[in-house]
This record gives sequence, structure tokens and C-alpha cells, in this order.
Amino acid sequence: MAISDVNPYEAPPAGANMFARITDNVSRIAETPTPPRAWYIAFGFAQLLLVMFLGSLGWVIWTGIGAWGNMMPVAWGFPIVNFVFWIGIGHAGTLISAVLFLFRQNWRTAINRFAEAMTIFAVVCAGIFPGMHIGRPWMPYYMFPIPNQMDMWPQFRSPLEWDVFAVSTYATVSILFWYMGMIPDFATFRDRATTTVRRVAYGIVAMGWRGSSRQWHVYERAYLILAALATPLVLSVHSVVSFDFATAQLPGWHTTIFPPYFVAGAIFGGFAMVVTLAVPARQFFGLKRIITIRHLELMNKVIMATGLIVGYAYGMEFFVAYYSGNKYEVFTFVNRAFGPYGWAYWTMISCNVLFPQLHWIPKVRTNPWATLLIGMIVNVGMWFERFVIICTSLSRDFLPSSWGYFIPTPIDLMTLGGSFGLFFTLFLLFCRYLPMVAMAEVKAFSPAAHAHGDH
Amino acid sequence: MSDAKKPKGKPGPAPVHGLLAEYDTPPEILHAARKIREAGFTKWDTYTPFAVHGIDDAMGIKMTILPWFTLCAGLIGLATAITLQWWTNAFDYPWIVSGKPFWSIPANVPIMFELTVLLSAITTLVGMLMLNNLPHPSHPLDQVRRFARVTDDKFFLMIEASDPKFDEVETRELLESTHAHAIETVLEDRVTEEKMPAGLVYGLIIVAVASVVPFALAAKARYTKNATPRIHLIQDMDSQPKYKAQRANSFFADGHADRPEIDGTVAVGDSRDDDKFYKGKDGDTWTRTFPSQIALNDATMERGRQRFGIYCTPCHGQVGVGDGMVAKRADSLAQGTWIPPTNMTQEYLRQMPVGELFNSISNGVRNMPGYAAQIKTEDRWAIIMYVRALQRSRSGSVTDLPPDARASLK
Amino acid sequence: MAKGSSKVVKGSGDGPNGDNIRLAEVGQALFIKALGVGIVALGISAVLGMNEKDGWNRFSHSYLVAFVWVMTIGAGALWWITIQNIVNSHWSTVIRRVGELIAANAPVLALLSLPVVLPLIMGNPVMYLWADADLMHKSHELANKIGYLNTTFFAIRFVAYFGFWTLLSRFFLKRSLGQDKETPEVAAKTVVSMRRLAGPAMIGFAITITFCAIDLIMSLDPKWFSTMFGVYYFASCVQAINASLALTLMWLQAKGRLTSSVTVHHFHDLGKMVFAFTIFWAYVGFSQFMLLWYANVPEETLWFKVRFANSWGTMSWALVFMHFVIPFFGLLSRHVKRNKKALAFWCIWQLVMIYVDMYWLVMPTLGVDEVPFALIDITCWIGVFALFIAGVAFRAKGLDLVAKNDPRLPDSLAFENI
Repeated sequence: MAISDVNPYEAPPAGANMFARITDNVSRIAETPTPPRAWYIAFGFAQLLLVMFLGSLGWVIWTGIGAWGNMMPVAWGFPIVNFVFWIGIGHAGTLISAVLFLFRQNWRTAINRFAEAMTIFAVVCAGIFPGMHIGRPWMPYYMFPIPNQMDMWPQFRSPLEWDVFAVSTYATVSILFWYMGMIPDFATFRDRATTTVRRVAYGIVAMGWRGSSRQWHVYERAYLILAALATPLVLSVHSVVSFDFATAQLPGWHTTIFPPYFVAGAIFGGFAMVVTLAVPARQFFGLKRIITIRHLELMNKVIMATGLIVGYAYGMEFFVAYYSGNKYEVFTFVNRAFGPYGWAYWTMISCNVLFPQLHWIPKVRTNPWATLLIGMIVNVGMWFERFVIICTSLSRDFLPSSWGYFIPTPIDLMTLGGSFGLFFTLFLLFCRYLPMVAMAEVKAFSPAAHAHGDH
Repeated sequence: MSDAKKPKGKPGPAPVHGLLAEYDTPPEILHAARKIREAGFTKWDTYTPFAVHGIDDAMGIKMTILPWFTLCAGLIGLATAITLQWWTNAFDYPWIVSGKPFWSIPANVPIMFELTVLLSAITTLVGMLMLNNLPHPSHPLDQVRRFARVTDDKFFLMIEASDPKFDEVETRELLESTHAHAIETVLEDRVTEEKMPAGLVYGLIIVAVASVVPFALAAKARYTKNATPRIHLIQDMDSQPKYKAQRANSFFADGHADRPEIDGTVAVGDSRDDDKFYKGKDGDTWTRTFPSQIALNDATMERGRQRFGIYCTPCHGQVGVGDGMVAKRADSLAQGTWIPPTNMTQEYLRQMPVGELFNSISNGVRNMPGYAAQIKTEDRWAIIMYVRALQRSRSGSVTDLPPDARASLK
Repeated sequence: MAKGSSKVVKGSGDGPNGDNIRLAEVGQALFIKALGVGIVALGISAVLGMNEKDGWNRFSHSYLVAFVWVMTIGAGALWWITIQNIVNSHWSTVIRRVGELIAANAPVLALLSLPVVLPLIMGNPVMYLWADADLMHKSHELANKIGYLNTTFFAIRFVAYFGFWTLLSRFFLKRSLGQDKETPEVAAKTVVSMRRLAGPAMIGFAITITFCAIDLIMSLDPKWFSTMFGVYYFASCVQAINASLALTLMWLQAKGRLTSSVTVHHFHDLGKMVFAFTIFWAYVGFSQFMLLWYANVPEETLWFKVRFANSWGTMSWALVFMHFVIPFFGLLSRHVKRNKKALAFWCIWQLVMIYVDMYWLVMPTLGVDEVPFALIDITCWIGVFALFIAGVAFRAKGLDLVAKNDPRLPDSLAFENI
């Protein structure tokens, strides 16, 4: 029987309590011999996209960057748009894990595990693009301060170098945080394992965790410290990505609000991806009692708030472009809205500013399918935001004689679409084999855990 | 009673490791923990599926020192970032790029922050594992079947036999008074092998040796020489569909891809048919007059002075007598191979036609190289005008000066 | 039930745990003292300002620094109560009324702005060059901004900012006070109605605080611009209100009010916010600086160049170390945040450094090479701040200092910080 046919709370084991039901509900997903049919369909589709992705990347490595549409003046085309897009998506996971933890928002426990997983897979997808777009992807070690035959060092004064460190640190810390969070849940899987392979595999990664309170004490402290470190880290990573643009003198790029604007935009797009994943996941994996409508509603509110911050930044850029009196700056903004890329600009505005306003209506923000739809719309809008910033500003900068119109090649489009294949492949594998929900945390904040007897 | 297996091969029952009590809810374990703590036990612990709020207080667990590890690591990360960026960009190989100072503190801040966080985070996780004695592959509690529910929904408390206050009977009574759901004796682990399986040891050795191989290969490639060209997988930039110098081209009779200029071809605007201006020739002889393109005025003289100062003074000196810096240096080296630059104020050069002077500057004479590539045609004529002035300055008389300037000579 | 001491001061004693929650005679005394000190200090400032004989230039600058410093607290309070409502925060319920009372001081803030705002509206360019429309028209770089930087539009915006803040703060205070007398069901509905307004209110706040900061501070140098400026000022607002709330609550407890309702856990959280926004301020300030430094465009860097010359440069470094590095380490430890004396020290420290920050923003447009810190700066600060305090004390007269009927209050009292 597929997992989606079983409502875990309809027929609980005799005498099962809340904790056991949480364990069962979540562990079943990884333990069932065959995943739900929806998983197979999604995985198949993801594989197709993945093959397309690897094919396009292989083609570019074989023939060169000319296979993409990058040209002068738009020397940064789809690859960098995709890079910023994927890194941005990753930020929601860290926000949910770390920032919401610091703010004691305990509702995060239902979604933080797969949001963190999403972060890591998004960073994997993101990291491929700068690695590829350097032209000789077999030489990325030049970006690291490794002694080499030329006795040369990386250029630390460049934001592109800061990116290397920021994204590497972010990937490392996210993986550490995600792994540490999973140790108690791996122990659960280990103790429920019915085959030796499962027991040994989960046992190794569980490191012999047995739930000792003395260990929990150190663990909780480590969790708090990592959350406190991850919070400024997530702010810094997308800020460093924004520095790639803001340190330049290009109109439309050189503006001081970029760092918090990019971070807010990243959280905005990231949460949109989280809800895009959460709605089907809770439907097909039977997690509706854990990821509830209230969780969706709260996430939609975060989407609204960050969307408004992004809108504020759009407004500020616009105002200061006028206020500065810099004719290139004024032109850039008029060009964005009414120039050859106007279609991209208005897509961005409607997806990022207009559609999320629907969440003011309670019926919309408590409806899972509306949530999913608006989440996908926001993701499209955020991709277009990066496209507008990068391609529009580059295609028409200071000298009219340098202007050019960027057109993506089919390889560009296949690489973008295919990157979703990599993302979903990893994510679906995660759902299948790893603890999808932070069981220990959900238990810790469930009502049964808080009975204060004789405090 | 006990679920523990009988030990293999060893005589007698296994010694007792401790007493384990099982509870169903957080308030129960909190209550039990308080009691055990009040009873003065020191070697005991509780085991829970999640961190129970308030258990630290109930058990008297002291605040961990982990934050200090993090702080130290963070400071080390910060220092590393500052040192790295300073040493590589400002000390070891400073090079001018992006117009920023070699040691640009504002530009170094992002990486300073990132390395601080990176080292802190890694240390926090590793520190947590170390302080928790993880990985901890085997434990006597693994032999207790009911203990598997500790990661599910049950709460346990164990007092170890090594505690000074432990007594099999009294401690059991104490645990019973905490209303435990079940109490079990835990025996020492005699089942699990103490030594690592041989296969695992060999496997680890093989992996360790194998992991050195790539580095060894890289070191070999780095420090040895090889006559064959390196392996070059991606060939796409190697054979570009275009013609380069020295390539063959069967289209032409001589088979070369480079073609010579067609005779008489001249670039637009480049015909240079004014022999007087471009060659200093007047028919077959050197011209004695300046070409009409050259305005003989102060501006040209000044231009000539400036150009002379740039191109000619190193050898010929400031007044053209051949005492330039290069000449002086060659004299001081006294190697015997130096032919001194001409003194341009000599009589025969004063008589030399300007066209011949022009030819010397353009194409060189004796040891002097030709300057046609460096000095524009107009400028060469301006230099000649200035040279004439220098020659005049060395050979003139008082009557050459205007009357009001003569007074200064007195 | 709350953890903590059970000191109960006899008084009206109708607050939670029998706490005294009325300012009563203490408030009256505070009002009179603050009013007196304020008037005297401003009087001295006026005299000092007249002595400068520079058309009130020095006075205006000193006054503006003091005013925008007080505005970080006043506007910060409005932000604070709005966000507490948006996120339905339970822990802060017991201290929210104090925030509401500070925020409700918006009309006083408007009045206090007049010495700087009125001359501007009347076209006096002593501090704001753009008040002179002729100059704007003639200037090549400034002519295009005249649509925004003109006295009429500014007057409309001024009314909009302070009008909006007044209406908003009055709404929140009125609803909150009304809730004190409601039944539990109606009280729960009031919570929802305040939350409903808080969302759109935050949008309005973001816009008004940004443009107020641009108008009052950024336009002092009308050629310079930065999209980050509103965010930069906002960072100081958040830090200022959290620090001020902590200090205000400590003062109230010293005077025997709210002694057992407000616990070390609440102070810990306020301290965490001061710490977090120390980092946030540094992040925003660094981003703004580094981006302009990196691109090195003269029309943008001139603003910083002025602030790095001579003793202004020392002040810039002082801001880096004393507004970020030192308080970062100072507020890092949870023990500091849970110790009232230590926390009070750092809150006062940061409020002083916010003043230095405002000074650094405003004063260089005076056009002097060195930092001109003098008595007039101190008397202006005392004057404006004292009158602001007087306004709060006046508003709080006869009102409860705790939203005692808010359904979230029990959670707030029992709140424990790890």
C-alpha cells in the first residue's frame, strides 16, 4: 500500500503516544519498501532534467563558453543569473533553521529539516555555475590560495574572490548544521532498522548517539552556537553575492542598498521554494499533521514580508535614481521598464510585488494549492529579478555604441531547466533515505513534552 | 529479569554495569532525576528521545565549555584571514590591480568575517563531538532490548555500578520509589568484540595508503621533468579554423598562407609621395630648405626642443655636443668599444643640408639607430630646426643678439 | 507563575503579582523636573547659539543632532510596538505598554522638530541649502532635484510623517488602553485588530522613516545620495529603542514599579536585540561605506572624504571600534545580558554611541575641519531629551504601565529565556 493511502493517525499502534506517532509518521517514509507513486513520477521527471543538465554542461566543457549566449556587452548571462537564483533559494533553509530558532519560533521544527536539505542542494546547484562560467572549469583551484607554479595568489580585493570564500563557508556550515541536526534522527532510524545494512549505515552516521542528557546539553549548546553563527552568515553570503554587482560603477548595479535587498530577496525566493516543496511533500508523504495549514500560513506571511522589503528596495532604487540626477542612472531605470527587456521587468514586478499581495486575504494564504501556485510565481519572479538586474544593466550601459541585446541559446535554457533536475534528484533522494522531518525537535516542542508536572 | 546474552567463552556471569529505569513521560523523568541527584549519585545519566526542558537543572548539569572553543576558533579564523590577505596580496606578491591599496582593509573584511564563521562552526561541531565522546560505537546499553525505544518515545535513567553510592538492592529500591515503568540490570558488554575486525583494519590501511596515491602522483608531476607534452583532454581551442602565420594553404601556388604585399599597394592616406617632406630629398640631392608643411615659428621650435629633449639628449647631451648621460656612462666604463656620439655643433654638420640631417635621424647613421618608427615626420623636422638653433648658439657672435640682450653679456 | 523575586511594593498594586503599575507621584515629579531641565537647557543653547553670530547655523546643527537622536528612540518605539503586534509576540506583552507610551509621544517629537523644520519650510537655507530655490535652479547638479527638494513638498511630507506616526501611535495606545477594560473574548479580538493594522502600518512606517531620514539628514548634503540611508537610520532606531526600554524598565523597577512582572528574562531578550542590532548597524554601515569606497566615484566618496579628514577620521575609527567591536564583545556573553548593571552599562554606552553616530552624520556639513564638540551640543541634547521625557511622563499620567488584560500576559510573565 502506498504511503499516501495511510493516514498515520487513523490507525495508530495500540497505546501509541504522541512521540511514537511522530516517530512512526516520519520514519515510515524512509522505511517503506516502495515510496509513493508520486515519488517515482517526480524522480523520473527529475532524471530527465538531470540528463539534460549533464548533457548541456558536458557540451559546454567540450566546445567552450560560446555555446552559451554570453557576449559583449552582456558578458554575464544566464550562468550568473542562475548562480544568484540558486544561492538565494538556499537562504530560506538557513533562515528557518537558524534565525527562526533564535526567535523561538517553534513552528519551524516541522519544516526545518527539509528546508536545510533544500539549502544544501540549492548551493550544490549554485556552485556549479561559477565553476563552469570561468571558461576552463578544470582550473578552479586558481580561486583558492593554494601555492602554485606561477607563485601567484588570488586577488583578495575582488568581490568574486569573496564569493568563493562566502559560498564555500556557507556550504560547509550548512552541511555541518544539517548533519548535526540529523544525528538524533539517524539514531532513531538505526534503532528501528530491520536489516543489517540499514543498521550499520545509519549507525555510522549516528555516531553512537543514545540520547544521554549530558550529551543533549552540549548538543543543544552547539545547536544554539551554530544557529547564532549561521544567522550573520546567511546575511553575509548574499550580501557578498550582491557585492559582485554593487562594487561596480554600472548604473543599476552600483547602489548601496543591494546587500539587504539581495538578502531579503533571497529569503523571499527561498521561502517560495520551501512552500513549493512543502505542499506536495505533505500531501504525498502523509505529513499533513506535522506540516499543518498553520505552517503554510506562517510561511506565506514571511513571503509577504520579504516581498514587501524587496518592493521597498525597488522603490528606493527608483527614487534615488531620480534624486541623484545621474542621467545614466535615470536612463537605466526608464530602460528597464520601457526598453527592449521591458517584458522581463514587468514579469518581475507582477510576480514579486503584485501576486504575493494576494496573501493578505486569509483564504488565499491558508489554501495549500494557492500557496503552491504563488510560491512558483515568486520563484519565476525572483529569477527574472536577477535577469533584469544583470542583463538589462549590461546590455545598455554608458556608451550607446556598446549596446547589445542578449539572447539565450538553447544550451542556456537547457542548463537552467536541467539544474532543477539536479536539485529535485537530490531532494527526492533525501526524502527517500534521510529523516525528512526533525523528529527530535518536533517531539521536543509538542504539547506532550511540555507538561510541567511539579516544576 | 535480565535480557543480556551470556558472554562467549568467559566463565561466570558478566559484572553489573548499572541499573536502568524506564519512564513514559517527561515529568516522570524530571522527578526521577531530581531524586537521584538529591540522593547524591555522581555516575548516572538520563536518556531521552529529545532534549527535555528542565533536565539540566534537575540533574545539575553544569554549563559546557563549548562556547569558549568557539570563541578561540573564531579569533584564530579572524587572525588567519587578516594574515592570509595581507601576506599574499601586500607582502609576498604585491601587484597593482583594481586601483586598491595592496593591503585594503575594507576589501578584506568580507573574507575576515567568513573565515571567522567557518573556523568557529567547524570547531563547534568537532568540539561537540569530542565533549560528547562521539563517535561511541558500542555501549553496554546496546544489549538491552527495551533501550532501543530511547530514540522513539521512552525515557531512561541509568545509575552505574561504579558510583560509590551504588548498591544493587538499595539503588533498585530507590529507583522503584520513582515509579519507573520497568527496572533492569545492565551487564557489562561481553558480547561485542573489543578488537576491531581484522577485515576492517586491513580495509582502513588499504584506504589510507590509496588516499596518498593521488598526492604522490601530483608531487611526482610537480617535481619531475618529462619530455612528452602533458595530456590535454579538451582540444577545442587547439585547432581553430583560421589561418595563422607559417601555415600551409594549397589555394596559393607557393602554398603559403601569409601573402606578401602586392606591389604598389599603399594604405589610404599613406601615399607619402612628398619626397622633400618624407625623405628630405630634393630631386637627387638632399634638400637645403625645410619643407612647406613645417611652419618655422616659435611653436615648432618649442616642439623641436621638447622632442630633442626626449629622444636625443641621452646620447647627444642637452646642447648637442655629445655629452649625454649614455655617453658619460660609456666613458666612465672605459671598455674601449664606445664610439662617442657626434658633436652636432661642429662645422661640417653646420654645413650639412637639413635633408641629410633628416635622413640620419630617420634611418640612422653608423651606430645611431633610425628613429623613423618613434618620431613622427613633423617632429623630426622640428628637431632639426632646434638643432640648427643649437648649432647657431655655439657659433654665433655678439652681433647675432638683439641690442637689448647684448647688455646682459657685460 | 513567574519565576523571580516576590517583592511587592504597596501602592495601587493592581498589576500582575500585585505590582505597582502607575507612575503616580513619581511621574509627576519626573514631568516637572524634566520640563524644567529641558527649558533651561534649551534656553542656554539658544543663548550660546546667538553668541555664535552665524545666523543660528551652529545652533541648528547641534539641535538637529539632538533631535535625530531622540527621534531614533521615538520612531524606534513606534516600530517596536508595530513589530510586536505583527509577530504576535507573547514574551513582550508585559513591557509593551511602556513602548506604546513612548511611541505615543509622536506629537511632542513633531513639536521638538520645529526649531529645525520651521526655518526650513520658511525658506531659510542656513542648514539646508536646498531651501533656497534660486540656488537650486542655478546649480547644475541640484536643479533636477528641485521637484523633491523644495519647501512646499517638504512641508507636506513633514505633516505626513509626523501625522502618520501620531495617528498610528494613538491607535495602538487607544486600543491597548481600551483592552484593559474589556472582557477576555473582546480582548482577544482587540489583539487581532491590532495585528491586522500592524501589517500595513509597518509599510507606512518603512516609507516614512526612510524619507524622514533622507529629508532631515541626507539632504544636508544635497549632492550626495545613498539608497541604504533609510536602512542605516532604521538600524539605529531599533538599537535605541531596545536599549531605552531596558533602561526605562530598570528605572521603573528602581522606583518600585513593575518590580516582579518584568524579569531577568525580559532584560535578556532586550539585551539580545541590542546585541543583534549592534551587528546589524555595523553590517549596514560597512556595506554603505565599502561599496562607495570600492567604486570610488567622486560624487559619492566626497561625503566620506570629509568624514575621514583630521579629527573626523578619529571619530570614524571611534565609531568602528566603540560602536561595534567593543560592544560586540561586551554584549556577547549571556551573563552580561542577564546582569542589570552590566546591561545598563552597555545600553547607555550604545545610546551614547548612537549620539556620536548622529553627530558624525550631521555635523560635518557645518564645514569645519575638526570636530567642533562644545557645550552647545551638550545643552541641546539635554534640552531635547529632557523635553521628550517630560512628554512621555505627561502622557503616562494616570495610565497603567502594563497591558494587564492582554490574553498573552500570563505567557509573558512566565517567560523563560534559555
